[in-house]
Amino acid sequence: MRKLFVVSITTIGLTLTLLVQSQAQQVGQVQVGGTPLVSAALAAGPVPRLPDGKVDLTGPWVAGGSNADIEREGGLKPGELPLLPWAKELRDKRKTEDEPYVACLPMSVPRVNPYPWKFAMSYTSKGLTYIYILHETGDAGAHRVIYMDGRKHPDDLLPTWWGHSIGRWEGDTLVVDTIGYNDKFWFDSRGTPHTEKLHTIERWTRPNYGTLVDEFTLDDPGAFSRPVQLKFTARLMRPDLDLMEFICLENNQAGVAGGYQLNNEKK
Amino acid sequence: MRTKLGVLVAGLGLFCVTVPVVAHHGFETEYDANKKVSLTGVVTEVVWKNPHMRVYVDVTDANGKVTNWNLELTSPNTVQRQGWKPKDLLPGDKVNVEGYAGRVVESRASLLSISKVGGGRPLFVQGGPEAANNPK
Repeated sequence: MRKLFVVSITTIGLTLTLLVQSQAQQVGQVQVGGTPLVSAALAAGPVPRLPDGKVDLTGPWVAGGSNADIEREGGLKPGELPLLPWAKELRDKRKTEDEPYVACLPMSVPRVNPYPWKFAMSYTSKGLTYIYILHETGDAGAHRVIYMDGRKHPDDLLPTWWGHSIGRWEGDTLVVDTIGYNDKFWFDSRGTPHTEKLHTIERWTRPNYGTLVDEFTLDDPGAFSRPVQLKFTARLMRPDLDLMEFICLENNQAGVAGGYQLNNEKK
Repeated sequence: MRTKLGVLVAGLGLFCVTVPVVAHHGFETEYDANKKVSLTGVVTEVVWKNPHMRVYVDVTDANGKVTNWNLELTSPNTVQRQGWKPKDLLPGDKVNVEGYAGRVVESRASLLSISKVGGGRPLFVQGGPEAANNPK
């Protein structure tokens, strides 16, 4: 009887563990695609700092953004994303073959695919002047720049894939304000759309050695009925690894096994 | 003890390869989770190209007909981070393969695992040992 009890408890425990892991992999987080992460013991360690006292945000990081479904991955319940009716209708009818990212075009903000990315903090004689955000893949070589030199957004921006980003420190939080996005990228593979009115504010904090948090404000009166607050968490990649070369267009066969071709001309 | 450890490792391995991921684009639009295939064949080409690595394998059926399978992995970078080196798999190697066949083109598959027949550790691809166990 006691043996049966132990076996039952073990079975229930194992089942629950597998369920939780399965949920984490399928529902709660962006897939990491096999990228090794820092150990839990190291992750809990202290936040590293640069010689000027600023938090070292370098990384490389894994996850920390949307990928399959911005609503779910941003911490909202189904239906909570305040899309305007036209935007919801567009999301529902979009197809994979039309997805820019699958055709090796940039993911843009706040999307992060299962590959590593990093902040590259660039110091000049003026101090921290630029921060570049480099993705191993997903930026199509168009490295994002965040201006840290105090400049303002220009008045006459040509809409681009990564928009125009200006950053500042609020204590240990890096605040990044971006406008000037084009409307071509998708927030996720579900097809969640936006317009050129998109304005994002990212608030990046590093609560410990292995964790990076983005408190993300999405404001787009063209596609959403109100601004919405989302939250994403990234994990540090294993310290002995780094970003590697990735040329997305080298041999992209996406769609063939499923019997469709990518509609590049629609981008 | 050795046997128990072996069973445990095998169990972990099975769990590791149960969640197919095609990182650059969705699994479900291209491959069919109901079309799981287990194949044995001979590697004809190992293509370390982006966005996703591919391994081509000749598989001979009971009637002697040879089909050249196109097996999709994840990026070459991800595969290398899992410990797979360029010379670990070469044309001519006989392999056991598990994967999910294409929704339309059934000689293509999303690769779950691959191992050389008669030797060597399995060359897991998706959810490989490092990814699943989050090594120290």
